[in-house]
Amino acid sequence: MPLYKIKVNGVQRSIDAVADMPLLWALRDLMDLTGSKYGCGIGACGACTVLLDGAETQSCQITVGEIGHKSVTTIEGLSKDGSHPLQKAWVEQDVPQCGYCQTGQIMAAAALLKRKPHPTDADIDETFAHHICRCGTYQRIREAVKVAAGGSK
Amino acid sequence: MSNRNDISRRSMLKVMGGVGASLAIGIFPTISCAADPKKPGVVFEPSAFVKIDPDGLVTVTICRSDMGQGVRTSLAMLVAEELDVDWKKVRVIQADTSSKYGRQGTGGSSSITGMNHSMRQVGATARAMLVAAAAKQWSVDPASVKTESGNAIHPDTGKTLAYADLTAAAAAQPMPTTGILLKDPSQFKIVGKPTNRVDNLDVVTGKAVYGLDVKVPGMAYAVIARPPAFGAELNTMDDTAARKVPGVLDVQKFRNGVAVIASNTWAAISGRDALKLDWKPGPNVDVTSKSIREKLVATLIDHRPVSADAKVVEATYDFPFLAHATMEPMNAVADVKGDQCTLWAPTQVPNGAQGAAAGVLGVPPANVNVNVTLLGGGFGRRLQTDFIEEAVGLSKQTGKPIKLLWTREDDMQNDFYRPTSHHSFKAALDGSGNPTVWSHQALQASGNPGAQFRTNGLQYTIPDAQMRFGGAGVPVRTGPWRSVEHSLINVANECFVDELARAAGKDPFEFRKALIHDERLKTVLVLAAEKAGWGKPLPKGHARGIACFSGYGSHAAHVVELSVVNGEVKLHRVVAAVDCGLAINPKGVEAQIQGAITDGLSTALRAQITIDKGGVVQTSWTGFKWMTLDAMPVVEVHVVPSTGASGGMGETGYPSVPAAVANAIAAATGKKVRKFPIKISELA
Repeated sequence: MPLYKIKVNGVQRSIDAVADMPLLWALRDLMDLTGSKYGCGIGACGACTVLLDGAETQSCQITVGEIGHKSVTTIEGLSKDGSHPLQKAWVEQDVPQCGYCQTGQIMAAAALLKRKPHPTDADIDETFAHHICRCGTYQRIREAVKVAAGGSK
Repeated sequence: MSNRNDISRRSMLKVMGGVGASLAIGIFPTISCAADPKKPGVVFEPSAFVKIDPDGLVTVTICRSDMGQGVRTSLAMLVAEELDVDWKKVRVIQADTSSKYGRQGTGGSSSITGMNHSMRQVGATARAMLVAAAAKQWSVDPASVKTESGNAIHPDTGKTLAYADLTAAAAAQPMPTTGILLKDPSQFKIVGKPTNRVDNLDVVTGKAVYGLDVKVPGMAYAVIARPPAFGAELNTMDDTAARKVPGVLDVQKFRNGVAVIASNTWAAISGRDALKLDWKPGPNVDVTSKSIREKLVATLIDHRPVSADAKVVEATYDFPFLAHATMEPMNAVADVKGDQCTLWAPTQVPNGAQGAAAGVLGVPPANVNVNVTLLGGGFGRRLQTDFIEEAVGLSKQTGKPIKLLWTREDDMQNDFYRPTSHHSFKAALDGSGNPTVWSHQALQASGNPGAQFRTNGLQYTIPDAQMRFGGAGVPVRTGPWRSVEHSLINVANECFVDELARAAGKDPFEFRKALIHDERLKTVLVLAAEKAGWGKPLPKGHARGIACFSGYGSHAAHVVELSVVNGEVKLHRVVAAVDCGLAINPKGVEAQIQGAITDGLSTALRAQITIDKGGVVQTSWTGFKWMTLDAMPVVEVHVVPSTGASGGMGETGYPSVPAAVANAIAAATGKKVRKFPIKISELA
């Protein structure tokens, strides 16, 4: 299998994978970065969301062969210790229930805040319209995004 | 959902002493943040459920599965409360299937009702031993020693000793057999206070370990090609292409399908995609949702005759199958070595999993140890052990540790579904519009022989109320789904109560209030109505619906406000009022109600599983549609302050939501809801 060099969380990683392996499985199985979650594999739930050069990307929908020189940021790279404002807000607002989808939700929020540091409710609606939380933590997700943006509570 | 709580105080106290059994939870990354003691010295471990290290760290072992209901937090709060320790010093770890933890199972909203007292006793007993140790050191009466925030205090002399400095002395104390007093709720400092989940930091940093995150040395990855219909059988298999997929290690027939074993998940999935399989359709190829409904309707009998001068109201309601669709699909890691087996699994039933694995291997249950990971959702799906048996069987068959993944498609199409059901109602109203007769036939399509609706008491006083439970067997696997039969019976009841109110020309809130016999249920109904502004003017096109439910020791009522625009439902606001007795963790209670509202809205308006050609039509979230954030209304949760017995909260918040949606839609459109999920175009 070919060797791919991918920059993940600021570190150049070499991985031995087929070109069509989705980034999600490369992260999880080959790099032991299990914070990005499998929820559907078809880009319908958002649990696998990472940042690709800062933009929200579903890691099940992009392959190892397609990454090229783009830089991947996973939840593990958002901060070393959970100190990113979104992570702090998520903890303080007690967003997680089962928690499985939350890393994807946070990464989507990170991309949003990068684009729009002070998002409106409509911006938040748009960002999370393709993210499923089966536990239904939506009220707290909205609140946590606002808190992280410094706009509420 | 059975949930035995075998932890007698005696069995808790038996496991004591300085040595203390190891609480290690296997070789997978720990799902706790419990640290080893940094300070040397004796660890005080008065029971299997709590220990205090010489550096003051308090470790609570939780023997219930956390699938999002927050039980790792709420049960630890109970121990910490009685122990009088600083909550910040408390760490939580998960029990394995050692018998010292008693029989473990999480379901039926029973963790708090079943464990409340015993967890408090765990804390109180440990506290009594720390007090006795301090009293001995100070040569004072133990009754004169107080405790606060991890310290023993003697107010008369001003002496203080930290628990951390008492671990050796406390471990040497005899186990108290009598006189363990629990606190009066008025003294609570932790219980009843809104508390964040213990796992939050692990979750938001990606460190939390779910079943799918477990990796053990030498592990191979497996997926299984499964029959396309219930009862279909494998005819022929060509695995030539599958075996050529890089990373595929083996292809093996397994049970009624074909397992692909690989060196990573993607190789396993790609290998499965490359299989050429021919299936014999089997005996159920003609089964459809329509044929199942016809089978149910055929079991209806005549409702009793009603006197000629009464006003008769009749209605039917149909509910679809529902998938649990946990965010984390089914999976397990099994490592079978000879007659021993180690499992890592997101399961609601650790002992059930242990027994199931033992059954597969033909070994005693004690040969199987189950490490319970975090559960990426449960809702009743993880009461089943089918996926665990598969992982164990594959590990045995391949001689390797196996991580079995069910893809979303596997998960959606091979669930134990919430049964579909058909409901037929006939009722009579007297001249004042009061119901005198209520006849309800609840017919459930069950995949489990012998499974029937259990009696579900009507929450309204009606002189002649009768419910008949029946149904038909179907070749679709069914099982408990959040609130089980209440998700059908109570939703139907609450829709029909609204139809009765309308026929009587009465307000549905006032109609219910007059007939409810449980005072606590009446209180939450009134509270929800008040908070929602029931009866107050609404914007043009908006309408409200109300419904309520008692169950699992708790009570809930919901008011939904919505409008119907161009055939689409627009949700504006949902107000919930609940009484769960003393809310151990009010923040957790609120979360459960918010989640139940999302479930209620999703299943009222979007989600269903349909059957065609003997198999499940939906494959993923694209077909089994769930609420997303953008479609959510404003949600308000009001919890009745109470120091009463704490009830369950996992399921109580669900059943009144779909009914309140249906009742609001009926109010908005003037039409009758007969079928879930509700499509405006189908209203009668």
